[in-house]
Amino acid sequence: MQKVAIIGIGITPFKARYLDKTYFELAYDATKLALEDANKNGADISHKNIQSTVYGIYNELFERQFMPDIFTNSYLGMNNKPGTRIATGGATGGYTVRMAYAEVASGLSDLCLCIGLEKCNDCYDEQTGVTTPEVLNAIAYSADMTYEYPMGMMAASSYVSMVNAHYEEFGNPTEEQMAYVSVKNHGNAMNNPKAQSPMKITVEDVMNSRIICYPFKMLDCCLYSEASAALILASEEKVRELKIEKPVWITGVAAANTDCFIGNREDMGRLYSNIYAAKAAYKMAGLDYNRIKSLIDLAELHDAFSGQEVISYEELGFVPFGEGGSWIEKTFEKSGEGPWIEGELPCCPSGGLIGCGHAVGATGIMSTGEAALQLRGEAGKHQVTIEKGRAISHSIGGPGAAYAAVIVMANEEGLKQT
Amino acid sequence: MSEEFLSHEIRDKIAISYKYTMGGQSKFFIELMNNKKLLGTKCTKCGKIWMPPRINCSDCYTPANWVELKQTGTIEVSTIVWYTTSAFIKAIPYGIGFIKLDGAETALLQGIFSENLVPSKIKKGKKVRAVFNKDRVGKMTDFFFVPEDEYENWISKSEYEGGES
Repeated sequence: MQKVAIIGIGITPFKARYLDKTYFELAYDATKLALEDANKNGADISHKNIQSTVYGIYNELFERQFMPDIFTNSYLGMNNKPGTRIATGGATGGYTVRMAYAEVASGLSDLCLCIGLEKCNDCYDEQTGVTTPEVLNAIAYSADMTYEYPMGMMAASSYVSMVNAHYEEFGNPTEEQMAYVSVKNHGNAMNNPKAQSPMKITVEDVMNSRIICYPFKMLDCCLYSEASAALILASEEKVRELKIEKPVWITGVAAANTDCFIGNREDMGRLYSNIYAAKAAYKMAGLDYNRIKSLIDLAELHDAFSGQEVISYEELGFVPFGEGGSWIEKTFEKSGEGPWIEGELPCCPSGGLIGCGHAVGATGIMSTGEAALQLRGEAGKHQVTIEKGRAISHSIGGPGAAYAAVIVMANEEGLKQT
Repeated sequence: MSEEFLSHEIRDKIAISYKYTMGGQSKFFIELMNNKKLLGTKCTKCGKIWMPPRINCSDCYTPANWVELKQTGTIEVSTIVWYTTSAFIKAIPYGIGFIKLDGAETALLQGIFSENLVPSKIKKGKKVRAVFNKDRVGKMTDFFFVPEDEYENWISKSEYEGGES
């Protein structure tokens, strides 16, 4: 397998609604930004040099179009080259990075565009006169259509089932501990100009926000966004040929699909997909699962819901099982008013999904791009201290969050130490 | 281009009609509709009981036989939904949860109805029992679960009835 690096990163602002762009126009903007970034990074390329594309687009009902990738392919000027679409719910972005990595690592492509996009808020609920209930309905079709959808299952009630089961087993995360995540991620987004929900809020604000799905409250939940995010991946040979100044190497990629029926799982308070994906990705990168917290500089996590970020700390190996709640509490108190970009292991310095918003297919690619920018020292006002030269991004989604992907990255320094 | 941007939006709706087969799982829905029975399947090799039913065991790759399950069970985890999809927004608040029927190994997602819908009433460990619509059509919405101490009240309502076990 060939070594693979991220050489260009393009992320559009995450916004509630783009009235002035279609989904493929957003994809064009992200691609153009990624090409410009690659060229600032030493390359001299255009879209004509891209050999293949992997598209991360979750939901046909959002885009009001089956096979939205082929229409995007046309608009991006990628005709007569291979383009493949990935759709794995909220984990679409992470899985798309994994498949784009495979395109390059296998030698099928030396220069691959990895692009995620989503435009959800064209869905519109005529009865309430707002978009959200119809967006949620378009997502709810991801639950089993015979056994689960008719029960009123949706994204929040799916995640809350796992968080409640975890609480029953370990006594955490408490509602306050979940609120810490919300305060942290909304606060971190204050320093991210591309974020949809920058907010300086308190634990009380979260606790007093409207109940969505017991015990999740409004401010525990991410908002749905419209955005596109693109990465340009290159083989080692191409990195050298193009004289890339700051390549960010992908050193580990792994994914796992756990049982889509939460009730079939031997333990409902665990996301086994997270555990399997994390262990495999770290192993590929030569990193120890039990020491991972001390081996990376930051983690961009999939915090679709605050309580689920807390559980992810455990599954991704940062803390032992049952200690996620006390860890966020410790981190929160230590850091005071934020931003929360220092300390033991900064999680979601970008603001994550709670701070940035969730443009499903684009999200995991944004998270990976954000982590790569951090490793280049170019994250801006939310730049964390880079000492080890390594970072991870994390994507989960699908029915009962059955899909999980973990990506491990390293800059040149981090690569030398591995 | 300094021209002022004017957006144009088009109203639309996607609707597809279905008459879909439940294939190997058909018997579950037929027995639910005709006899108010809840059937799971039991693997002929490992003995695992599947609910929702599967006519093949995904662990052993061997056939699974139909078995009738009890209509009482225990709540494994639950929630109360206060904001939801366009299809259910008129139903809020509603309770849903994963229920392990007595004797089953997997838990089934179902609606949990209560005369007093508060988290403590439908929390983990609470015993529940299935209540059936009198007017059944062979769908999952033909039944739901209620706390055991409310069972008699629910089946005394004109639109509902109890099962047999």
